[in-house]
Amino acid sequence: MPESIVEMRHITKRFPGIVANDDINLSIHKGEIFALLGENGAGKSTLMSMLFGMYEPDEGELIVRGKKVNITSPAEAVALEIGMVHQHFKLVSNYTVTENIIMGREPLRRLLGILPYIDRKGAELKVQALCDRYGFDLNPRAVIEDLGVSQQQRVEILKMLYREAEILIFDEPTAMLTPQETARLLDIIRKLRDDGKTVILITHKLEEIKQVADRCAVLNRGRLIDVFDVASTSTRLMAAKMVGREIDFEVDKTAPVFGEVILDVSQLTVLDAQKVAMVKDVSFTVHAGEVFAVAGVAGNGQVELADTLAGLLAAKEGSISFKGENITRASVRKRTVEGLAYIPEDRHGVGLILDFPVSDNLASKAYFRPPFAKGPFLQQFAFRQYADTLIERYDIRCSKGALTPVRSMSGGNQQKLIVAREIDADGDLVIFVQPTRGLDIGATMGIRQRIIAERDKGKAVLLISLELDEVLSCADTIGVLYDGRMTKIAPANELSRNEVGEYMMGVQR
Amino acid sequence: MNQIIVDGLSYALPMLIIAIGGIYSERSGVTNLALEGLLGFGAFAGGLFVSFTAGIFLADSPVPFYLSFLFAAIGGGLFSLLHALLCIKLKANQVISGVVVNIAAVALTGFLAVQLNKAVFGGASNKFMLSTAPRYTVPGLSDIPVLGGLFTNVYPFELIIVVLAIVFWFILYRTRFGLHLRACGDNPQAVDAAGINVARVRLVAVIISGVLSGVGGMSFAYSISANVSPAIFFGAGYLAIAAMIFGNWKIVPTLVACLIFGLARSAAYQLILVLEMDASVTDLAMIVPYVLVLILLIFFSKRNQAPKALGQIYDKSQR
Amino acid sequence: MSGRGHTRTRTHAAVSGTRQTPGTSAASLPLRILRYGRTQPLLISAIAVLLALVAISLVIIAVGKNPLQVFHSLLQGSGIVPKPRYAAGKAMITDFLGLLDAMTPMLFAALAVAIAFKAGLFNIGVSGQMLCAGFLATIIVGYSGLGALMAKPLVILVGLLVGAALGAFVGVLKARWNIHEVVSTIMLNYIIQYVVSFFIKSSYIDPVSRSSRAISSDARLTLMNVPLGDLSTRIPLCFLLAVAVAVLLYLLLMKTRLGFELRAVGANRKAAQYSGVKSSRTLVTAMVLSGACAGLAGVTYYLGYFNTIEPGNLTSVGFDSIAVALLGNSNPVACILSSLLVSVLTFGSTYMSSAAGISEYIASLIVGIVLLFCACSGFLQYLINRDRSRGRTLHNVAEGEGRDDGEGEGDGEAPEAGEGDGKTPEAGEAS
Repeated sequence: MPESIVEMRHITKRFPGIVANDDINLSIHKGEIFALLGENGAGKSTLMSMLFGMYEPDEGELIVRGKKVNITSPAEAVALEIGMVHQHFKLVSNYTVTENIIMGREPLRRLLGILPYIDRKGAELKVQALCDRYGFDLNPRAVIEDLGVSQQQRVEILKMLYREAEILIFDEPTAMLTPQETARLLDIIRKLRDDGKTVILITHKLEEIKQVADRCAVLNRGRLIDVFDVASTSTRLMAAKMVGREIDFEVDKTAPVFGEVILDVSQLTVLDAQKVAMVKDVSFTVHAGEVFAVAGVAGNGQVELADTLAGLLAAKEGSISFKGENITRASVRKRTVEGLAYIPEDRHGVGLILDFPVSDNLASKAYFRPPFAKGPFLQQFAFRQYADTLIERYDIRCSKGALTPVRSMSGGNQQKLIVAREIDADGDLVIFVQPTRGLDIGATMGIRQRIIAERDKGKAVLLISLELDEVLSCADTIGVLYDGRMTKIAPANELSRNEVGEYMMGVQR
Repeated sequence: MNQIIVDGLSYALPMLIIAIGGIYSERSGVTNLALEGLLGFGAFAGGLFVSFTAGIFLADSPVPFYLSFLFAAIGGGLFSLLHALLCIKLKANQVISGVVVNIAAVALTGFLAVQLNKAVFGGASNKFMLSTAPRYTVPGLSDIPVLGGLFTNVYPFELIIVVLAIVFWFILYRTRFGLHLRACGDNPQAVDAAGINVARVRLVAVIISGVLSGVGGMSFAYSISANVSPAIFFGAGYLAIAAMIFGNWKIVPTLVACLIFGLARSAAYQLILVLEMDASVTDLAMIVPYVLVLILLIFFSKRNQAPKALGQIYDKSQR
Repeated sequence: MSGRGHTRTRTHAAVSGTRQTPGTSAASLPLRILRYGRTQPLLISAIAVLLALVAISLVIIAVGKNPLQVFHSLLQGSGIVPKPRYAAGKAMITDFLGLLDAMTPMLFAALAVAIAFKAGLFNIGVSGQMLCAGFLATIIVGYSGLGALMAKPLVILVGLLVGAALGAFVGVLKARWNIHEVVSTIMLNYIIQYVVSFFIKSSYIDPVSRSSRAISSDARLTLMNVPLGDLSTRIPLCFLLAVAVAVLLYLLLMKTRLGFELRAVGANRKAAQYSGVKSSRTLVTAMVLSGACAGLAGVTYYLGYFNTIEPGNLTSVGFDSIAVALLGNSNPVACILSSLLVSVLTFGSTYMSSAAGISEYIASLIVGIVLLFCACSGFLQYLINRDRSRGRTLHNVAEGEGRDDGEGEGDGEAPEAGEGDGKTPEAGEAS
């Protein structure tokens, strides 16, 4: 019988209107890689957040190393040698690697023997030693904002190791990584286990579990379905248990029928506010009836590319032509009117006005023209009517109908609202950026089907996504952005998953 | 020339210490437009102390002078709790809170000054008289051409401010607390995850801004008017904010900004004196620092990078 | 592929299954009334005033007076409640008309703050804009000797234009160079104060009063000593104009394209840009409107309520108007009510001071305390809506589990008006 390091007994956690975890019993063994599998919303993160002290369970008890514990803050979890790498990294962007790692546990020296100050040199040596030990290629003095996603993730791992954590929780660690980076991360995780650490891996990707995990617990809608021994269980069985039903991850799609060129981008270069080139000499075309999907690791110029196409950022060099017309210098309004729809990555910050009601948000790109406005005056009933139609047509759930403040709606319905507004405008090009970020699997599949449906209607679709799965399942043509350059453009069926991954990491062929 | 440096320093250094207070607050993520109110309330507390203890100390005793700075620091610190309460605990809009704190400071000091003066001295004055502050000249060093101005007619508080500025520079950039504070202004979630209490760091930062503003306010009270009256609200707090923006929320560049403001102002004064212009023209000299601020901001507002989490309300339950 | 249609229906069932209307946690009736969306801002303002009155009562008691008597004398001084006796030619109505005369610039000033607020701008330079408009109208029209029919409209026009020009300047600084309007308007306050002081002292001083020379009564926007029966009253000519401007601004905000753009930029500047609104132009427009209102406040103050300008001073009206606008939740029509309230506090304080024997400073203290509680209105709202918003936050977190849990969803959830975005960059530049 292996030694159990964490035990969860009858853990229940309720949030208003939902039971996130329902009577969960688990036992995690010392020195194993324990995977927690389930779709988004199954309760995996909530369960582990309780182990890390971010929530407290409503019922049940936590037992760590045989002792019943009550973890009320991350600090207490750290004291129990528990560490967690969150999906959104918690790093200070203008600090160095070392400063981030030591924060909260800084080694001190004393000035004149009295005044305590931080021993930077000593800290850097310690961090360097940790890097050497685990084979991380990181400069302890590098500033976080200059590092890529996978390097930042290593800083997060080092933070746990610096605090001598023995139980390491990884929350969806591969979501933003290329296949190659994923493979390297999984190596690191194995190495950590071989070093005697216990690893808990939260994921919804079966292949990863198959590759590294020793055991796997499956959660579905807050309930623990089963715990498997990974080596002796088939992927198919795990998948079925995970979703609790037969599900088809493939988006059903027919062969594309390309029409004329809708969007023609030529040698586009874009600078950010600090005058750094974010998009460099990018050229591509999108046809009617084509899904052109842009793959790439976060921060390689995707958002800037989309913003420039939509007119929110100015092009430094190059040209954008839309339906044969040069729109490089056109205003946002002109592009919208001409039929360019844009579903931005940042729903709250850009896509919506949270304090406005549904009706105003649905009309926010058309308020200035009939039927919403007559001359300078707004026609309130037209707003209302249009909102009622779209709420019905796109199945947007809002408690008070057209007048519901958008702030009070769920993320999935907010996204439906944006998609409804953009698609109903019936333009010729729809730009989707990270359209399924943060959505549960039902909403995700709904949006992906919507993307294909638009293509089948003969629209041009530009899909920019950080999730390789999404790109591969929707694309007719794949373009890869690396360091602001479009390093590869090819028909989707000519590129393998691994090839795309290599381009995403800048491997030249 | 000497006079420009002497006057410029006695104006620039109090502004520097107030701006350092602002840097503490804003680097921790709390927008602080309340500096004006904080320095005024601090000076009020210091003036209150001096005028109420006037009979206790000997006429030429330096003790009340130094103690007044202590009380000004305490007064500024206490009043900053209001801003901290509104911003950190009550989740108010930080810009609005700052302005409200300023208006409350003007109203409260005016009201209290009249009430207290009436109750104790029988006259409903809104002023507290101060003794004139001593000034020192370092023999020898003051004779150096140009730089001699640094050592001529120096107020003791200028030395206090220089020492405080060095100490608070050290705290901000070299100590644990400083590391936590600057991190709070960039990514409070990261600080929380490291087991550090964000609200407490910010509370301390805002209190420090109050304490330093109080010291700065008391310095202005001694150097400009030798009394504490509503005239203490002449915009030094806002000038300090502008200096801080111009200095990109860093202490050393902010020092440069303060020196530019101070020297420009005293130079304009000297010019009017030298040209023997009418006294009413001094009103025009007064606008020099404000105009300069507007012009400098045109060049630096866009380029300089405010702390990322500035103005964001941090709610622990949302991590 | 076969089970696709089936899958979709199942998914919907699952989604609706988890959304068991999180807001319906049992709430008591008063709490439910408070949560009713439309009246909530009004109620929160009322609570803020009430709390402020309680706090101020404590101060008054501490000073050794009776708060009820103090409040009563405030109302007496404002001509709302009769005084025990009146001087010859005076009656309650004369006091009340005086109140309206004082309220006119206050309302204009509050509208200046409110319209800027709606666009996400904080114009705390109203006092300086008032002074500049008042001074220029004084020297251009006030000393010109023009007849009343020419002079009065001209005064209004000069006020409007000067204010609008100053507003445009601040707007351009913000839109073009990203200079926070709080800093630029404060700097302008001081510059205007000193420059005007210089000109008055050097050219327009009245050697006796030490203020600027009085303007001609033809140029004055308040008619003085108008006989009304056996009373002698003053008639504020622009009071109705102020009320009309308030209503017009309300209609502009709620019923026109420009109003929609203005509110969109105020609520979320980036989202407004994304929707095709030219945010820079909208910001400048908002500041022009705000400055124009401030200009009107200036001429009705310096060439109406008063007829001279005291050099080296900014009026507190511009600052009190912040309280008025906040109390009115930046709704122009609600500002009529709140400016009446604040005017009673400030205008009635002279009589209160003599009748109740308490310092006039108490009036500004009351305004200050009202402001303090207004600033907490976000918190009051948070308290009232707490379990609701809390339910929503966690619900969303649970739903978008993990993926959005810290940032995406969290950002918008803070229970503060105008939090979502807009504010972050704005407050970022703030200072």
